[in-house]
Parts: sequence; structure tokens; C-alpha cells
Amino acid sequence: MDLTLDKKLQGFQLVAQEKLCSILCSIPGKKELILEPDLIKPLEHVVTASWLKLKGIQRIYKHDAAQPLPRSADQVHIYMIRSVLGTFQTLLKQLQPVALEEMPDIAMKMYHIVCVPSCYSYFQTLLEQAGLYGLVQLHHFNWDFIYFDQGVLSLELPNLYECLYLQRNTSPLPSMAQSLRLLQMICGQPSLILSFGNHSSQLMQMLKTLGKLPAPTNPPDYGGWLVIDRDKDYPASLLTPAIYAGLLLEVFEQRSGEILVDNSKNKISSQRVELLQGKKPKTGVNPASKPCSIRLNSTSDEIYGDNRYKRFAQVSSLIHAQVKALGLELQKLNDMQLDEMHDYVARKLPKLTELKSKVLRHLNASEIVIQMMGNFRKLQTLEEDILNNDSRKRLLSEIDELLTTDGQRYNTLRLLCLLHHCVGVAPEELQIFARNYCNLFGHQELGVFQQLSQAGLLPPLVAEKKAPTKLLSNLPLPKFQQTEFQANANRLKLLTSSGDGQDGGSSSRSQASGLQSCPSFVFNGTYIPLVAQLCSILLKTNSAEELSSKLGMIEGLQLHLDSGRTTPKAFASQLKANGVADHDVFPLRLRNLFVFIVGGASYAEIAACDFVAKLTGAQITVASDSLMAGSDLIATAFNH
Amino acid sequence: MDLQFDSESYWNRSSRAAFSFDDEDEVDLAPDLASNGILADDTISEASFNNSVVLNLSIKSILSEEALKLVLQEQALDDRVLPKGVSPEEELKLLRRQLQSTLYSPNLEATAQKLLQGKTAPLEMFKSLQEKQQLLDTLMAQGGGHAVITVLLFLKRTLNTTQFHGILRERPKALEEYLSYLKESGDLASHIELLQLFGRHQEAALKQFEAALASGDASSRKKHLQLLVNAYATAGVGVIPLYEQVFHAALKMQQLMEKDSGLGKLLRDQPTPVEVLYACCQVNSNWKEQDMLKPVSPQRFAADQQISAAQYEWTALNERAQAQAYADLECIFERVPSWHPLKTKQFHISFDLTLAVLRLYELQAPSTVLQLFLSKMGNSVEKLALAQRVKCIKAVVDAMAGLKQQQELQQLKDTLPDRSEEQFYCENALKSLQSKRWTTDNIKLKL
Repeated sequence: MDLTLDKKLQGFQLVAQEKLCSILCSIPGKKELILEPDLIKPLEHVVTASWLKLKGIQRIYKHDAAQPLPRSADQVHIYMIRSVLGTFQTLLKQLQPVALEEMPDIAMKMYHIVCVPSCYSYFQTLLEQAGLYGLVQLHHFNWDFIYFDQGVLSLELPNLYECLYLQRNTSPLPSMAQSLRLLQMICGQPSLILSFGNHSSQLMQMLKTLGKLPAPTNPPDYGGWLVIDRDKDYPASLLTPAIYAGLLLEVFEQRSGEILVDNSKNKISSQRVELLQGKKPKTGVNPASKPCSIRLNSTSDEIYGDNRYKRFAQVSSLIHAQVKALGLELQKLNDMQLDEMHDYVARKLPKLTELKSKVLRHLNASEIVIQMMGNFRKLQTLEEDILNNDSRKRLLSEIDELLTTDGQRYNTLRLLCLLHHCVGVAPEELQIFARNYCNLFGHQELGVFQQLSQAGLLPPLVAEKKAPTKLLSNLPLPKFQQTEFQANANRLKLLTSSGDGQDGGSSSRSQASGLQSCPSFVFNGTYIPLVAQLCSILLKTNSAEELSSKLGMIEGLQLHLDSGRTTPKAFASQLKANGVADHDVFPLRLRNLFVFIVGGASYAEIAACDFVAKLTGAQITVASDSLMAGSDLIATAFNH
Repeated sequence: MDLQFDSESYWNRSSRAAFSFDDEDEVDLAPDLASNGILADDTISEASFNNSVVLNLSIKSILSEEALKLVLQEQALDDRVLPKGVSPEEELKLLRRQLQSTLYSPNLEATAQKLLQGKTAPLEMFKSLQEKQQLLDTLMAQGGGHAVITVLLFLKRTLNTTQFHGILRERPKALEEYLSYLKESGDLASHIELLQLFGRHQEAALKQFEAALASGDASSRKKHLQLLVNAYATAGVGVIPLYEQVFHAALKMQQLMEKDSGLGKLLRDQPTPVEVLYACCQVNSNWKEQDMLKPVSPQRFAADQQISAAQYEWTALNERAQAQAYADLECIFERVPSWHPLKTKQFHISFDLTLAVLRLYELQAPSTVLQLFLSKMGNSVEKLALAQRVKCIKAVVDAMAGLKQQQELQQLKDTLPDRSEEQFYCENALKSLQSKRWTTDNIKLKL
């Protein structure tokens, strides 16, 4: 059997089934499954209801933290929850009466808790403290990578960014390392791994600690892995994408690889303060219109597949044209002879009507996007100016004006974070913004600024104003400071629209007219996502020497080879010193790359990687713990 | 309560009655829950179930038996269960090894690896302080993870506070993990205490502030806020100016809401300052003069809460336009220049005029109001475009006159309904434009 890479990646589902099966089959009795609602959608990608039934699950319930579920004497309750301390504690509290029961039957465990993706080792301690040890059995289940779409994998761990970057809590790292280990078992070990960032290198460390792998059954698929931390490339998340899939995610709620298109509310409209929204759309105009969903999978939705990584403006007109063409096609029916019609209705019509409903769904979605994004061009210009540090004072006042006249809870803050990341915002400036922000969204949001400064998205607020700094900022001296972002972006040539760049502004303009010659098209020709640039460097490099000259200046990049951990520079000099050029891993013999982003990937990054892959004739798989838009990233700071 | 569960109606209205992935299944499914069920959701969901059929892939082709066994073995939480079918000698060996590791020399690496995999590992034999520290450091060096918290909890149990805090003090990363654990577990008191102990007063203050706002009723909210403000006024630790301002503002607003119950009726629980300002605008009756004495006057409230001029103007603009009290709009945007108080009032706006005009248009303001705002625009080209967009004919005429577009004016005049007010306005503009033909500009040109 010919086993393509995509097939193999879909095979993660089989492994997940096998894992879940071994848990369920180890539990005897009449089983009932109680699921945390949040788990249902991703679990759909793993198993079906009939499968669960086959494994002895008699009923499935949604878990409700407010109401405990009664259990009859012969039933076994299996709870499945995310491994979040709060959720676990609530569940333990709910199960507390069990501990008080007289004469508990210890031999038969009637309660089980399955934690996804891993059962933190201190959960056992908490179980013991709650007096439930021996009565409740803990398990863990990691579904590993879920195959969303060609070239797109997700671990579906929605709280990971918050945990790692805002709380600095590394609890979820081991389960990720285990998933990566499984990937190595299935797809083989790559000849090199390039990691960028703290968490990434920690992950590689853990991968090593987890031990040796059994001999692989298949030849390796990937020539290289690229593992990078989200905070090494914030702009790729914070900038507003210009491509179809990216904008869909900006506007609509995403749940496990599908988006929910609701005419009455969406991600953007719910961010605004209702009182100042202007004219309210008349409710009840179309109460019958049920929210529908679009699956972001190119095999099940060919319209999405054709358009996912194209520029939105282009897609929107393509969809309009398609609707028209379909209308004409259906009109043909009127001019047909009877027997012709029979044939047509039997063969072509069902397909056409199905296609039509799909196209209409996309039409509806793209119209809502247009309506919601408002003055998109203005936003893009603003973002471009932020990237290129074009008249900083004006940028701040424009963001402030946006806050006042079109305040969006996450998106306005996102612009400020982008400004800080690219140019730097002074604490005093943040203070003024934060004051206005709290006035608009409430005093309780004060903590958000501290949270975001933890992740380096905003400057930390300082206790007392120090006179010297104040003086300095008032002096009209030209500043030549560069932020870390600017330095790295210049070294790696990520900014494509800045005046002094090699390609200059003119080339980016030509891209805007539809000619795509550079992966920066995902951001309207202003910025190349870091992962895409690193991928193209890895694929185009011919020797370690070349890699070292390209990446040597970047702090924090690490190469993980069979021989151990090193840096691009050290690797090159080591090869030179030993004089064994044939130990060089470059050029990569296997042209496939695996990209893993710790802390959420954006569709712009995926699209840019897809573009690089097509350009170089390689395959690039992008995986992450979740797929998110910039507003989702900012929203994580609000869960205090 | 228990009786309720017997009645059938309970299941029909309960939010967590059984649902099924598959609507053909015989699992009893309440009708209103069909929408919650996974398959009933949409046809799209159905597609995902065909995955396994389409896949046509066997697990053996991607993973060797050995590897699969390893994966499943790593998934098991408890290693201590003896495998079945082992010979007595091997069993003895296994038991001996287990005994050794439990009672005597603790094995650092093995314990760390087990904890990393989420397996249960006994920690009790790590008795000496040095062993405890080594365990923690080994885990931290391996990249941390949840095992760090497990070990910290163990240390907290087996060491006195001085020692425990000493260990945290030397390991800032471990401290972060522990703080995050306390935060997630909802143990607010210990969290704040630890923050203060380690000199992080700002974060502690923030946590206390959040807790104060989260308390249920208004009076206890006020009490807690008052305590917090007082505590930080006297604590002698530097406070971030932003925090201080917001703490005070929150307290002030709480006091205002308590005093003025009329305002509270217009608002939801825990309103934002701008929402309160909106309510203040609703109850304000005198827009002609700025009242700085009454605490619920919009100007006074905005000053008290340090609401920026732009925010104040935008909120008032929206409220007045919604209330269709367009006459008040002029008062909102009037400023007496401070450097010359005797001078007549001037029009002043703190944000882009275009946005104001568009919003007013959206709220269906009459065209006289639109014209008033459009007349303040300096750039005639922009004004023309905007006026055309909001269909304000008079402003279009003004702009065209400003641009001296005679032909366009003539064309516009022809399209307007006969003898309408707009037509007269247009005609006047044309006339004045024509009469001006022989004045300054042209003469100058000839000279």
C-alpha cells in the first residue's frame, strides 16, 4: 500500500483510538461517559458515538459543574475533563459525597477521571487530600495531533498560550513532548531540528529525556523540524491577515477545525461596547437563519480548499462569480427536454445543489467579513506604518482614536501590543492608554496590562517615575535604538515594505495587484512570517557554512542533531575544524519539513509556509497546540 | 432533590440529559437537546465521522507493534501493577528493585522521568534537604512541567516555611510555577501573602483590587476598595500611578452609585465608567452650561473619572443622537478658548470629524445637523466626498462652491426636485459664485 505523508498524519487518529480503547477496556462494568462540553468537538475527530458504544459506553452526558449526575449502583461513571486545575478541583468537590458514603466498595472502582491531555502528577496528591483516593481512579488520554486539513495539525490545547507565556507555568510541556515523540515514531527522526526560544529548547530536552525510540517501521518522512516559540514572532499573530482562511478566523468563532457562521453575532461584534455601537441592526429580520458552520478542510469543502490561502479580495469576487455561474447552470433546467431533464435531475442536480449550498455559505461568510472589517485598508496602512516605525506619535494617537470611536476589546489592545513589539511603548504612554481602556471596558480589566507585560507584549508598569528617564524622553534627540524585533526582522529580511529594504516598496505594491512572488502576500506585502522565512532558508541552504552566515547573528537559535545540541555557527566551525564536509546535513536530502509553533499558529503562517513549499517543491506541515487569530491571543489575558 | 430524578420531566428539562453522537442510536434523547448532540449539529459534523472509513489505513502500517505497546505502556499511570504471566524469579527481581527504590537510595533520574510522564512515583524517600533540592533542580533542568508543582507541594509538606520559602527564593522559576498553582487553585489569600512576602506588592495590590471588584454586593465592594486604598496610602511601598488612579476612580464611582440610586436603575450591575457617563448624559437636562458641581453632571463625572475629552465627546454624541436631541450637540463641541475667555465660543472636536459625521448619519440625524458638522471641515475635496456619502445635499453644494465647480453645481441643480429648498440653496450658491467671477482671483491672474 502506498503510504503518503498525509495518510500517515491522519493515522494519528488510529493511535488515539487505540489509546482511548485501552483506557475504556480496562474499566469493567456499565459505563457512562461524562464529557466536558469543550472536549466534544475535538473528540469528534478521534472517535464516533458508535465506536464508543462498541467499547461499552452506554450513555454520554455533558458535564455540568453546577449539577452532579446521579449514579445508580451498578453504573460506572467516567468523567473526561481537560487537565486544568480549576476544573479538576470542581469535579473533586462534586464527587466529595462519595467519600462520605458508608462502606465504599473499593474493589470495584465506580468513578474514573480521564484528564486530557495529561494527568498532572499532583492531581494524585489532591485526590488523596480530598479523601477520594482508591475510590476514584485517574487516567490520562492524549489524542496527540489532530489532522485538520492538508498540512495543518493541531493538538487542540486551547489554554496553552496562557499557561506558558502569561502564567509561566510549564505544566503542559511534557504532554507536548510526548506527542512529538509519537510523531517521531510514526514519521521517523529528522536529520536536524532547529529550535528557537526557551520553551522549544525545553521541549527538545524533554524529548531526549523521554528515552530511546523503538526501531521505525517506515523510512523517515521529514528532513527537518522547526520548533519555535510564539513570542519569537508575535507580528505573525498580531497583524491582520489578508488571506481568506485568516480573515475567517478573525471574524468567526473556531472550534476544532470548523468555524461557526452566525448572522447575529461574531467575534468582532461581541468585542465592541454595545452602547456605542451606533445603529443596532434590527433584530428579528431573519430569525429563521440558523447559524451554520464551515469546515476548514479542503477535502470536505472544495470551495474552501480552492480559496483558503488566496487573498480575500480575490476570493470574494471569485465566490460571487461562482454563485452567478451556478445560477445560470440551474436555469438551464428550464430549456430542457423531458428526458434530458430526467437525466439531469438524477445525475447532476444533487451535486449542484450541494455545491450551491456550500457556495452560499461562503458567500454569506465573506459578506459578514467585509461588513465587520470595516475600513480594512486604513487598518492595513496603520499596521504597515507600525511595522516600519513610521511617525510614532501619529500611530499612538490613531490607536487612541480607534479605541474611542471603535473600541474593540481585543483588537484595539492588539494594535498597541504590535506597536510595543515593533517600536516600543513607554510606560507613561501605556498608562494613558490603559486609563482610557479601563474607562471604556471597566476597571476590572486593569490586570490585563500586567498579564500582557508578562508575555512581553506590553512594557511593565513601573512604580515611581524616575526623573532622569523623564528628562531623557523629553530631550529632542534622535534615537537610534532598535528593538529586538527590528534587529532580527532586518537580519532575516522579514519587512518587505520598508523603504530601505532590498525589494523596496515598489515590489510590494506589485504584489498587491495579485502577483504573488513572496510569502509576504499573507500580510498584504508587508511582512514575511518568521517560520516561512526560516523554512525557505532551511530548504535553500546548501551547506552549514551558508546557514551559519544567514542565521549566525540570531540569538537563541539552536540546532539539535544526532550528535547533540549546538548552534548554527558552532556547527559550521566544527565541521570546518574536522574537515569532514560529508557530515554536513545540508542541503537537506529529504525535502519535507515539520513546523511546530509553541503557543498557537495563525493561518497567515500556514499559508506562507504553503507558499514556500510550493515554491521549493517541498512539503511543509504546520502543527501547533491550537490555531488562533490575533484577538484570541489577546483574549487569553482576560481569563483571570 | 433525589425524588426529582425519577420523574421523566427532569430529563427533558435538565441541561445535562443524555445526548448522543449519533441520532440513529437508541440512546434516549430529549428533543430540545438534539441541537446539542454532535451529529445533529450540522451535516458537516457527519463528514468527520467518515474519516475512519475514508482513511482505509491500518495502524500496523504506521506504527510497529513494539512502538504501539510502548505508547500504551507510557499512557498507564501506575507502573507498580505487576505484569501478568511473569516467572517467579523475574517477579522476585522486580519486587526487590521496587523495594530498593522505595526504602533506600532514591533514584533521581528515574523519579524525574516517571514524574515527567505523569506516572506516580514515591517521593517519601527524599529525606535530606540536599536530596529534596536536587530533585527539584533536576526537574527544572529537564524543562519543568507539572512535576515541579508536585515536588513543590511535597516540599511544602515536608519542610518548614522558612526552608520552603528559602528554596523558592533561590529559584525564581519555581516560584512562578508555585504562584501560578496557587492562582489556579483559587487560594487567593496564600497567593497574595506569597506575593507580598517576595516583595511583589504591585501584583498583590492588583489581586486584591480584582478580588474587591469581584465581591458580590455593592456595599462589600465599596468596603474592600476603601480598605485597599487606605492600605496603600499608608504602606509606604511605591504604587504604580495607574493602579492608584484606577483604585481611586473605582471607589469614587462606587460611592456615586450608592448615593444616586436613580442612576443605578439605568445601569446593569458593575457598569463601566463610560456606561455610567452615558447614563449621566441621559439624565442631564442642561447642556447649555457646564455644571461642575453636581456629581452626576456629565462634565463633572468625566473629570472625576479622568475620562478623556475624546471619550466624553464621543459618548455624549452617541447618547444625544440616540435621544434625537440634536440641538444639544452644538453645546458638547463648544469650547471657550482658555487663553481668551471673553472671546466667543469655538467649535472643538477631539477626534476625526469624518467619524462624527458618519456616526450621526448612521443614527439618522437630520441633514441640517450633518451640514453643521460638515461645515467645520476645512478640506473641500474631502468634504465633498463625505457629504456625497452621507447624502447631505446642502453640504455638497457648499463644498462644490468652495471648489468653484460651477458646472457640477449646475448639473446638481438640474437633478434636484423643482422649487425644493435644496434647489434654492443650490441656485444661491451658483449666483454668488457667478457674482464673484470678476473679483480678486481673476483680476489678479490677468495682471
